[in-house]
Amino acid sequence: MIKFENVSVLYPGAAEPALKDLSIHFNQGEFVCVLGKSGAGKSTFIRCINGLQPVSEGTVKWNDKSLAEMTPKENLEVRRKTGMIFQHFNLIPRMSVVQNILTGLFGYKKSYENLLGLFDSNERMSALEAIDQVELTVEPTRRVENLSGGQKQRVAIARALIQNPKVFLGDEPVASLDPGTAERIFHLLKETHIKRNLVSIINVHDVGLAKKFATRIIALKKGKLIFDGSPENFDEKVYAETYNQ
Amino acid sequence: MVWFKKRQFFVFLIIAVLAVYSMRLTEFDLSKFRDFENMGDFLSKWFPMNTDSLPYLFTESVLTISIAFLGSLFGLIIALPLSFQAARNTSGHRLIFAATRFYLSFLRSVPEFVFGLILLTTLGLGPFPAVIAIVLHNIGVLGKLISELIEAADKGPMEAMSAVGAKRWIGNLFAILPQIWPNVLSQFFYRFEVAIRTSLILGLIGGGGIGQQLFIHFKTFQYQLVSVDVLLIMIMVILVDYIGGKIREKVI
Ligand SMILES: Nc1ncnc2c1ncn2[C@@H]1O[C@H](COP(=O)(O)OP(=O)(O)OP(=O)(O)O)[C@@H](O)[C@H]1O
Ligand SMILES: [Mg+2]
Repeated sequence: MIKFENVSVLYPGAAEPALKDLSIHFNQGEFVCVLGKSGAGKSTFIRCINGLQPVSEGTVKWNDKSLAEMTPKENLEVRRKTGMIFQHFNLIPRMSVVQNILTGLFGYKKSYENLLGLFDSNERMSALEAIDQVELTVEPTRRVENLSGGQKQRVAIARALIQNPKVFLGDEPVASLDPGTAERIFHLLKETHIKRNLVSIINVHDVGLAKKFATRIIALKKGKLIFDGSPENFDEKVYAETYNQ
Repeated sequence: MVWFKKRQFFVFLIIAVLAVYSMRLTEFDLSKFRDFENMGDFLSKWFPMNTDSLPYLFTESVLTISIAFLGSLFGLIIALPLSFQAARNTSGHRLIFAATRFYLSFLRSVPEFVFGLILLTTLGLGPFPAVIAIVLHNIGVLGKLISELIEAADKGPMEAMSAVGAKRWIGNLFAILPQIWPNVLSQFFYRFEVAIRTSLILGLIGGGGIGQQLFIHFKTFQYQLVSVDVLLIMIMVILVDYIGGKIREKVI
């Protein structure tokens, strides 16, 4: 469904490319964890998938259509079908839980509807359902800034859920959470993933979480793909290769 | 002398020289306060206050506040969309960015007083040219301040908005405006306060309001009215400062 063909990314002014000649293919139903040292190119990789980061060489294809050749409309289609979850949640401050979740629908609606906050009762219902699904127990009208990290991440996941995504992307979605909360959030992601038969591609620093939840692990090192296989095959040797030097 | 480096000493010297030179130019001389009693004599002429025209002067004060309020409100309303074009991270195009920046600096570089003088020739005397003069200058000032706030905003929410497929301008608006809003309000109230002082000055060139009254009363030696004018002005400034502070507290 998502395909990288010889993708390289060179940031302006950087000596070395952040991604080097990467080719890989993801299918429906796969829950992929991306491992790698800091600076290995994980974030760059994730951001290439929905085109937040344009590639310097090669192509990223969605259902055999290259992102770079898509019309703005098709690009929007890709974005709104992709729920992205960030390490620092990236919620909009001074807006409430439910308002933040409703911004997930922005890609589906007209500009004036977004501007004026015109959401029909179905849409508002689906926001409340998303709150239930992520097991948020805070007031929907509460402002998001003083929620706890775990609560904020749940709001961010609910925002992604309301997009009715086909793909989940996560750039270290649990890195700012305590281990217990991190595991619960991963459970939630995996559950949703199975229920909706998604493609999920998620960066993690915690190898334990990756081995526990992933159906497939890939490892990046200095922008190169050095491992691609099942969690059982990610053994100590590969671990050492991924994280050494 | 562990706290100071040689270079800091040099900077200090330059500042001292500049200060002395400026004192020469401005005939700065504290010994002139010898004739302090004159000022006492003069001020005693201000009292008792002539409160007969208080109702009239009060309406003139309201006019001053209106000039300042419209001058800053319309300034803000026009500056807000411009500032998104004048911020590197949200501008539609490099050329639009450069043009908007230039336009804002131009407006900022022309004092309200000068705008007022120019507008007098087309609009005639009165509060209207004063409002326009303040609006123009405020567009320049607020546009710059707000565009800097936009550039300093956290870009996380903007990324989230592009990731959900929002239109660029909608994403920018929603991601940035809530972040900068308290500061924008702060700046607005500060500019409002400044606009009150400015509209006093514009009174000198027929801009109307309490400033013009003060000018007339002073020129015609009606000092017992001057004192009333000054009192009203002080109350106004304190009031705006107080109300602005309260509203900012609520918002932050
Ligand atoms: N905007 C940028 N401009 C220039 N260089 C960048 C930029 N973003 C990332 N890089 C560089 O690209 C390389 C890969 O960065 P990336 O953020 O993808 O790594 P990462 O694996 O996500 O690291 P971390 O685990 O620390 O988040 C790094 O060397 C980084 O310095
Ligand atoms: Mg990263």
